[in-house]
Amino acid sequence: MTARLQEIADELAAVPRDLQVELLLEHARQFPPLPEKYHAARAAGLGRVHECQAEVYFFPEVDDGAVRIWADIPGHAPTQRALVGILREAYDGATPAEVAAIPDDLLRRLGVDGLLGPQRQRGFAGVLARLKHGVAAAS
Amino acid sequence: MPPFAHPEVLVTTDWVSQHLADTDRVRVVESNEDVLLYATGHLHNAVHVDWQTDLQDAEVRDYISQKQFEALCSRLGIRPETTVVFYGDKSNWWACYAFWTFKMFGHADCRVMDGGRAKWEAEGRTLTTDVPTYESTDYEAGSPDPSIRAYRDDVLAHMTAGGALVDVRSPQEFIGEISHAPGNPASEAAMRAGHIPGAANVPWSRAANSDGTFKSREDLEAIYLDEQGLDPDDRTVAYCRIGERSSHTWFVLKYLLGFDDVRNYDGSWTEWGNLVGVPVETGMPDLDGTVEP
Repeated sequence: MTARLQEIADELAAVPRDLQVELLLEHARQFPPLPEKYHAARAAGLGRVHECQAEVYFFPEVDDGAVRIWADIPGHAPTQRALVGILREAYDGATPAEVAAIPDDLLRRLGVDGLLGPQRQRGFAGVLARLKHGVAAAS
Repeated sequence: MPPFAHPEVLVTTDWVSQHLADTDRVRVVESNEDVLLYATGHLHNAVHVDWQTDLQDAEVRDYISQKQFEALCSRLGIRPETTVVFYGDKSNWWACYAFWTFKMFGHADCRVMDGGRAKWEAEGRTLTTDVPTYESTDYEAGSPDPSIRAYRDDVLAHMTAGGALVDVRSPQEFIGEISHAPGNPASEAAMRAGHIPGAANVPWSRAANSDGTFKSREDLEAIYLDEQGLDPDDRTVAYCRIGERSSHTWFVLKYLLGFDDVRNYDGSWTEWGNLVGVPVETGMPDLDGTVEP
């Protein structure tokens, strides 16, 4: 885990569930828009993560050894925005090796597994696998 | 236009708007795929029921017990005679799923708000982040209704007898190709891809308009009766991946088209695709029932 991910995990672990919801919504609100250069690809349906019930589109880049995670997730899917937003915050600029090493039990480490329930955890595992695959393919 | 078979079960956004203040008799329940969506804003006086953390048992792969259901309703201030109105995201998938679950526990008066959250928002109606609290009740559940739920053995017997099955997943899932997509590890959480032999493929979304409302009875009959040859007098089983999209179709068949005996197979593909010894079919059937490789 990167230092920033540990920080986010510590913040989430320190509060009860209703405040976890607030913290996650804050991450969802801060989710950046997809850069212009990917709009055409997004409109063509590329980058779609099919494992996920929500419409999640990933456009990972590796630029000079640094990973850039770009994604488009609709506002009515705040959970995916929050979780992918956390991944972005913790891994934007990281090396492909660091992304490959993102722990698969990330949600448990963030302490939000109970809030999500088993099916959504499985859905997010698909998102994470897709991100790792995309970064590996781009590097 | 011919009315739905049980029109009272479907209410409009107008109806809900007029009944939001009637909290003694009506409880509006939001159920979403997204667990955080309710917290971003919801209908005034609406409570939140999450399909995973509220309706499913944490350890056993099953629904909560009758006692837990009673505790849930009591906490939400619901009485056995309360009109419970469900709405949610994704054209009411999860609202239908919660509706089905409440019906299974025997709650009498359940309804769905046509169009769900998307229609409410599109109409520019108010949302609030205020979470209401209600005086807790002492809910006693009536008789459960097991007749709307199919278990794997029921489905196997039903399939063997040539009974009607409706697979409401996407055609890619139905023909069995989707779990072969690259970078897509065990996406269906199933060891085998395909469908239950003999099933018709009617993606759930064909029953919905683009604004999330249900199609008219005429349009629905054209799909399920005329095109697919389903018969409202035949026992029919609907399934998908985990039983949520199929509860949307279950609702359509039972309440909008008046099928007498339609069951939701909630184990769905995550169960069937992992069962040892049950047959799986791949490819797309013609409408005359034969299967193309």
